Amino acid sequence: MKRRVAITGLGAVTPAGNDVASMWARLLEGRSCGAPITNFDASGFSTRIAAEVRDADALPMPEDRKLAKFASRSHRFALVAAEQAMRDAGIAPTPQDRMRWGCVVGTGMMTVAYDELSSLQRSAATQGELDPSRMLDDAASNDPLAFCRSQSTAGVSLLLRRFGIGGYASSVHTACASGGQALGTALRVIRRGAADRVLAGGFDSMISPVGLSGFCLLSAVSPDNDMPERASRPFDVTRNGFLLGEGAGFVVLEEWESAVARGAKIYAELAGDGNSLSSYRITDSHPSGDGPIQAMRRALADAGATPEDVDYLNAHGTSTPMNDKSEAAASAVVFGDRVGEVSVSSTKSVMGHLIAAAGAVEGVVCALSIHHSLLPVNANLRELDPECAHLDIVRDVPRERKVRVALSNSLGFGGSNSCLAFRHPEETATLIARERHASGARA
Amino acid sequence: MSRIVITGVGSISAAGRSAAETVDAALEGRSAIAPIESFDVSAWPRRHGGEIKDYNAAQLAGDRKVLKLIRRSDVLGLFAANQAIAEAGFARHRETLDEEGNVAFSEGTACYVGSGGGAFNVNYEYFPLMAQSGEDMKAFGHDLASTVNPMWLLRALPNNVLCHVGIRHGIKGPNGCITNHTTSGMLAVIESAQSIRDGEATRAVAAGHDAPVEPQQVLYYHRCGLMAQDAIRPFDASRDGSLLGEGAAALILETEASARERDADILGEYLGGGDASEGLGLLALSADGEGAARAIRAALDDAGITTGDVGMIVAHGNGTPQSDASEAAALRSVFGTAMPPVTAFKWVTGHPLAASGILDVTLGLEAARRGVAPGIATLETLDAACKGLRASRDTQPTTSDIVLTLCRGFGGTNAAVIVRAIR
Repeated sequence: MKRRVAITGLGAVTPAGNDVASMWARLLEGRSCGAPITNFDASGFSTRIAAEVRDADALPMPEDRKLAKFASRSHRFALVAAEQAMRDAGIAPTPQDRMRWGCVVGTGMMTVAYDELSSLQRSAATQGELDPSRMLDDAASNDPLAFCRSQSTAGVSLLLRRFGIGGYASSVHTACASGGQALGTALRVIRRGAADRVLAGGFDSMISPVGLSGFCLLSAVSPDNDMPERASRPFDVTRNGFLLGEGAGFVVLEEWESAVARGAKIYAELAGDGNSLSSYRITDSHPSGDGPIQAMRRALADAGATPEDVDYLNAHGTSTPMNDKSEAAASAVVFGDRVGEVSVSSTKSVMGHLIAAAGAVEGVVCALSIHHSLLPVNANLRELDPECAHLDIVRDVPRERKVRVALSNSLGFGGSNSCLAFRHPEETATLIARERHASGARA
Repeated sequence: MSRIVITGVGSISAAGRSAAETVDAALEGRSAIAPIESFDVSAWPRRHGGEIKDYNAAQLAGDRKVLKLIRRSDVLGLFAANQAIAEAGFARHRETLDEEGNVAFSEGTACYVGSGGGAFNVNYEYFPLMAQSGEDMKAFGHDLASTVNPMWLLRALPNNVLCHVGIRHGIKGPNGCITNHTTSGMLAVIESAQSIRDGEATRAVAAGHDAPVEPQQVLYYHRCGLMAQDAIRPFDASRDGSLLGEGAAALILETEASARERDADILGEYLGGGDASEGLGLLALSADGEGAARAIRAALDDAGITTGDVGMIVAHGNGTPQSDASEAAALRSVFGTAMPPVTAFKWVTGHPLAASGILDVTLGLEAARRGVAPGIATLETLDAACKGLRASRDTQPTTSDIVLTLCRGFGGTNAAVIVRAIR
């Protein structure tokens, strides 16, 4: 029998709130966080709006001051969200069991801070081309701390040290699918017995000159500078790009039986991981939904669930014309005649697109939806795109609904698709009782 | 459970464009580490690295059109993956399948990639714009579209090799891109094998790639005290650090049933893998190598074998004083006095960071197929801190066809993979 995995701790630092409770309240309220960018002077950019984490400087940092020096903005989000998740779970690695704890994170791609890049440019690329011989005099280019912060493993290293984790440790990056793939990898690691507990999540911050530039150049972000709170409108016929967000989401995952044995509060079962490659284009899935379809079906199969069990889909729903169309097409294929009975919302409508953190934060949202039997709003939907008309979108107000199984899609640039399946803990308990009964009957 | 066999290998390093060429260099005592040529380092305190010779992107990637969308590290990754897939004969086999069979093949093929490379210089495409706009961020934003390549973000994606291997070879199965510094490629092998064990895939492409020989990376490694003067001397008393190298490698893993059914050549068998971390910080290492020892033990358990079954160890051997000493301590604690021959390859290729674990697996497999643990030419006097290690200047015969490869990275991460060579 497969080892099952319980979600016992949640943490979030997002534009919608710097902890789980305030984020959840804002998602229920359905009020978008889009606003003019304040992280830097974006006034000359084609898109000058984003969803930023507020009061980032006031985030409570761990007491280990040494850690803070090694932390960039997104690492600080990660440390704070992970701390919340560990406290919520009420458990931490001990010297005896630290080897049985793992850590898997989805990390952002933008690892070099703009200030350091700018310092190097002024020192050694004054004409626009790097002259390596002049790098020796640039302070940032010779600062080991700047190097440490720039490493793709900087985040996971900080978390391992902060919590004393000593088992499987990995950082993954599949663009917008990173957070989902991190949770999915963590699920597999516990299932195969390589760890009993895993701190899993994602963190990112691309609201910087180079980060925003990348998306402006591709025209992937909404240019609706004059109405930032309307810019993210997934599934609306007038949608025209995503709203860039930032932040971190973390969960504590535990082998089910041990979580039950210690009387842990279980938000949900992380029941299935579905993962596919679109192999179509770099930035889009096929309009037919090919790619996402396989991910959703694999997540259901992995969870031992069927489309009939699904009550909620937390859509990737970026608010780009192509993504929402492809995802709506995939839902029609996967859910078939039942597509109208699955409630759908994209919480990116409120907090924007957290890129490598998106899948992890949306995993937290699914756990909360199951826990509270309440579905967050797909904000800003005025006129549903006729190509998405078959979807039952949670509009205007949150919806009370017991969720047996929730799916969360994360579809990345590069064609990596992640779909996670979450199950209500009561449903899981029933399944376990049934399995025991069946195996007892066989015996 | 069906055995997992290896039916294709791709490998590129400064020393050669196949695993055989790099192993030949090791056996001949030739290191490919040399003064860096791709940028001017004449005034620098450290000037050496392992660069790919006669680099021709279009030829290496096998596709000119894709070049505007990828970077040097990706080119190497595509080369290795293409080489492995060609050896495994995917295309030939797919020609025999009907449409339904091809869909099943696509969806039953996993791809996991360990990615690194060019983390700093990818941003330098903004320098002309920054030089032009100075402190004026408004001008930066305004002139962006007319100055910077619109494809910049796509070129910068860490998961490009995964994306383009998928598109070129029609792969749609479980996948992942691991950006975990040095252990990335090794973890790609482990996750690939796991996707087959779990029944989610019938075969998998595992790849790793990196191109760390860039100015900022070389300088930072030096400032962190990790760079050697001119050579990597693993386990030697006079070792003084590591040097970076470019490289990529790939393995095709598949169920034995699938390989037999399509009559593929079987080069080896995947036996198991393990991973453990120390959690002391980004650069800190435990002196006794306890994390490395746990990763090795986990891999042995996973493979269902004991220390006595291992016929050769491919050590991480990066040449830094601390890492080599703690690695020797870890190997002593696991293998004691019954240690098989130990070799290492970074002294030949330089340290290809994210590619290093998987590159070493391909080189270890090739050497084991020849029955030898290549001598380490730069090892003159085994350091007292490394005593008990069966590493030598001279090539030693392997004691079995089973190879254990160890890989260690920043953050105190460790991974080990065990394969069996089939001759």
